[in-house]
Amino acid sequence: MRRVGNSAIAAVTATALCCGVWLLLDAAGTEAPPQPSAAQARTGAGRAGQAPAAPALPPSPPERVRIPAIGVDAPTTGLGLTPSGSLDVPPPEQAGLAGWYEAGTTPGETGTAIVAGHVDNAEGPAVFYRLGALEKGSVIEIDRRDGGVAVFTVDAVEVYAAKDFPDEKVYGAADRPELRVITCGGAYSRSTGYQGNVVVFAHLTGSR
Amino acid sequence: MRRTARLLTGTALAVAAVGLASPAPAYAGDARATGGLEVRPASVVPGERATVHTTACGEDGAAGDASAVGAGEFPLAPGAREGETTGGFQVPPSAQPGTYEIVATCGGSGKRVAGDLVVTLTAAREQVHPRGSVKTGVGGALGSDPVQTAAGVAALAVAAAGGTWLLHRRARGDGI
Repeated sequence: MRRVGNSAIAAVTATALCCGVWLLLDAAGTEAPPQPSAAQARTGAGRAGQAPAAPALPPSPPERVRIPAIGVDAPTTGLGLTPSGSLDVPPPEQAGLAGWYEAGTTPGETGTAIVAGHVDNAEGPAVFYRLGALEKGSVIEIDRRDGGVAVFTVDAVEVYAAKDFPDEKVYGAADRPELRVITCGGAYSRSTGYQGNVVVFAHLTGSR
Repeated sequence: MRRTARLLTGTALAVAAVGLASPAPAYAGDARATGGLEVRPASVVPGERATVHTTACGEDGAAGDASAVGAGEFPLAPGAREGETTGGFQVPPSAQPGTYEIVATCGGSGKRVAGDLVVTLTAAREQVHPRGSVKTGVGGALGSDPVQTAAGVAALAVAAAGGTWLLHRRARGDGI
């Protein structure tokens, strides 16, 4: 009787130990979204070494964004600005939806087109979860309403802190067709969330 | 060519005479033929000039009203093309993107025609850029679920209690 009791206690103890360790490890955040390495940062060399720019396309709103390197193929919705002047975001519950700043440049025409999407929502990873893993030279394709496809090549992947966000670098005008793809990134704190944004810089290198 | 010109003139006069009641089949769907007001270019950026064209007023000239976009009133006069009345105005630099109704009232018939002006911010120099960071995540991918954390702590507590109990028995020589 006593021996059975001991075995039972030992079994329960072992099971509880395993369960506890597994639950805590799983909850501890081993799945943080990837962040860009220093090698993906903008270089001081400017446009030297970048793929040649393609001629600008006429304005046409985007319909889908595809980034094959990180498995993104998402529809796009129009975004405006929040009352504070920051870029609005797609509805968080639609995790697979990306957005674009529709009062700005359309992807493919001269200027800086802006695409943004969630890295995660309350349920888990979202459309741009792996954006921080993107590397220079990767291709971003935008399906346009006019039936064409604008092909962009990644020049840099950066992460910027929200409290010192380089607006001009990210949103400023460009004299050739450029694209920014933005999602949340940087350090995470439970009280304030992600501390910044991952920003992908790309320019138009082709169309079809 | 001359026939086309005559047809155009004829169409314009017919439209001027009876207005919308007599759409010209040859130009169906076209603002000029349906007696509407055509606004060019198709879209403008704030600060640019837009011109309006109509054949609804014949040779009479018209009074234009672009106050919807904040540009006030402007005159329309017979233009280079026969039967067409044209005018123009400057879209205020402060205009917000959107679609605005531009109205013209014919000087002779008093007929009212309207067309849409589309204001966009696509020209880089006029663009309003977003500011600051973008709120695109809440940490849901981090899996730091408080309920799960609590369950894990509870399970470890059970394990600790079980282990302590076993050690006690062993210390008392209760036999393991």
